[in-house]
Amino acid sequence: MDDVRIDVSGLRKQYGDVVAVDGLSFTVEPGRVTGFLGPNGAGKTTTLRMLLGLVTPTAGSATIGGLRYTDLAEPTRIVGAVLEASSAHKGRTGRNHLRACCITAGLPRARADAVLDLVGLLPAADRSFKGYSLGMRQRLGIATAMLGDPRVLILDEPANGLDPEGIRWMRELLQGLAAEGRTVLVSSHLLSEMQALADDVVIVAAGKLMRQGPVAEVLSSVGGDARVHARTPEPDKLSIALRQFGGTVTPEGPNRLCVTGMAAEAVGDAALAAGIALHQLTTEQPDLEDVFLDLTQAKAAIR
Amino acid sequence: MTRLVRAELFKLRTTSLWWLFAGATLISTAVMLAVNLVQAHELLQPFDKFVALHAHGRNVAQMPPEFLNRLRGEWELGHSAVTQAATIFTAGQLIGVLLACLLGIVLITSEFHQQTATTTFLFTPHRGAVIAAKLVTAVIVAAASWLASTVLALVVGAIFLGSEGYGTQLGQWGVVRAILLNLAAYAIWAVFGVGFGALIRSQLAATVAATVLYLVGAAAASGVFDLLYTYVIKQDWILTAQVIVPSVASTVMISPTKTFDQSPAQWVGAAVLLGYGVVTALAGTRLLRTRDIS
Repeated sequence: MDDVRIDVSGLRKQYGDVVAVDGLSFTVEPGRVTGFLGPNGAGKTTTLRMLLGLVTPTAGSATIGGLRYTDLAEPTRIVGAVLEASSAHKGRTGRNHLRACCITAGLPRARADAVLDLVGLLPAADRSFKGYSLGMRQRLGIATAMLGDPRVLILDEPANGLDPEGIRWMRELLQGLAAEGRTVLVSSHLLSEMQALADDVVIVAAGKLMRQGPVAEVLSSVGGDARVHARTPEPDKLSIALRQFGGTVTPEGPNRLCVTGMAAEAVGDAALAAGIALHQLTTEQPDLEDVFLDLTQAKAAIR
Repeated sequence: MTRLVRAELFKLRTTSLWWLFAGATLISTAVMLAVNLVQAHELLQPFDKFVALHAHGRNVAQMPPEFLNRLRGEWELGHSAVTQAATIFTAGQLIGVLLACLLGIVLITSEFHQQTATTTFLFTPHRGAVIAAKLVTAVIVAAASWLASTVLALVVGAIFLGSEGYGTQLGQWGVVRAILLNLAAYAIWAVFGVGFGALIRSQLAATVAATVLYLVGAAAASGVFDLLYTYVIKQDWILTAQVIVPSVASTVMISPTKTFDQSPAQWVGAAVLLGYGVVTALAGTRLLRTRDIS
């Protein structure tokens, strides 16, 4: 089982009158970091818990390598999951928490120290869990997930409670794991972090799939074209020249223009042909946040 | 399965919980042992000395005949080395059995109380296996606390009985049976605890409910069944039916003598208690298997 794909198909979960997840379908590919994005209450956690056999779906299926989580013979050697930062006994030390997990999964106890080292928690290994900061708890959660050296990693809001340095550490760790061919699925409502971390995104709102695909593709499909900002001493002449090439031009204050419908190269060439000096030319990619707000707008987070 | 039981025992060992339970079991055994030894010392005396002890220096001849009769009844029931040995060697049972039950409850409710259920069920998605491991663990730990309590009681009790001139009494089947039934009580209550904990997820609610059921159950049952007998159906089997209350069943099971006038045979108590253990464990498992963990 080397390349393990996650398949979610027609997944639905209903609590009384509330439909938390509504016919959700998407796939997560190996060798890539997939961001699972949505506002709070979009059904991300419920989806991940259904994927991991903790919550029973009302309908549909969620499989890992073609099997339901509960049908995996040694689940922790295939899938590692971090679902909440506080899932260890308060009175137990970090090392003993991991050792108990090793015994359960039939792994050598030495794995406990190996993963503590991996997440940088060795110095705090013999402190009880209640004294851990939120960031340390997240690291212990990642350590727990890594015990079985799994091919798939599933993380629910792992950036919560991490400081900027911790977030960078986690990003490098997850990207490194994906580069080894592992399948990484990370949920978040923090978009800026996801833009730096993910290769693919799955965007959900109100329990429904909004968009799925590689980050760049999703951005261009929704956010429209990139915008080009040009600074020139002759904005009026440049406007006329660019409109001849089909660009849409809007003034942006003194000597500055915003161009859409043309790439930066085309803007530069047009200026050269018209003999107009350019003092600055920058391209602005649409922001994931804009796309996200666009897509999830009017989907009330609280249902 | 062995892995899961080993993990449960490891988890138990790595928190302060087991210290609390071991300490409480030994203390309750020691206290009850002291009380039982004093009583046994009195009851094993010849009747005139027993009466003299209860007269507190007053003239025995002036004692009211009702009081004397009551003392005679008490003495006749307890003036037996076998009865006293059985009582001494099972000292601390009242609280020890309750502790075994509470341990069973905590084994399962702490998963929710400490929010470790997610990790536990991620590592073992087959919830039935998790509960089975907890049942086995509860029985192992209950047997261990029975052993600790019994060893303490055996050592002190054997020395005491020897000094009173009765030997250890361990050759008597009645005594050995009492010790073994005590083990059964520990084990069944622990199983009952796990099932009860699975049914009532709240740690506080489950422990309080079980303690009340255990400690007050017998008295409450006695009152209710007496009322039923007096006002509804005046037949002896109504009083016998008290045995359906778990704590009454437990007492009936472990008492060599009759617990109350209409009490059924010991095996009836054992069957009822075992039934409760099995039913709560099965119902708890069934409930937990389909419950969403969030």
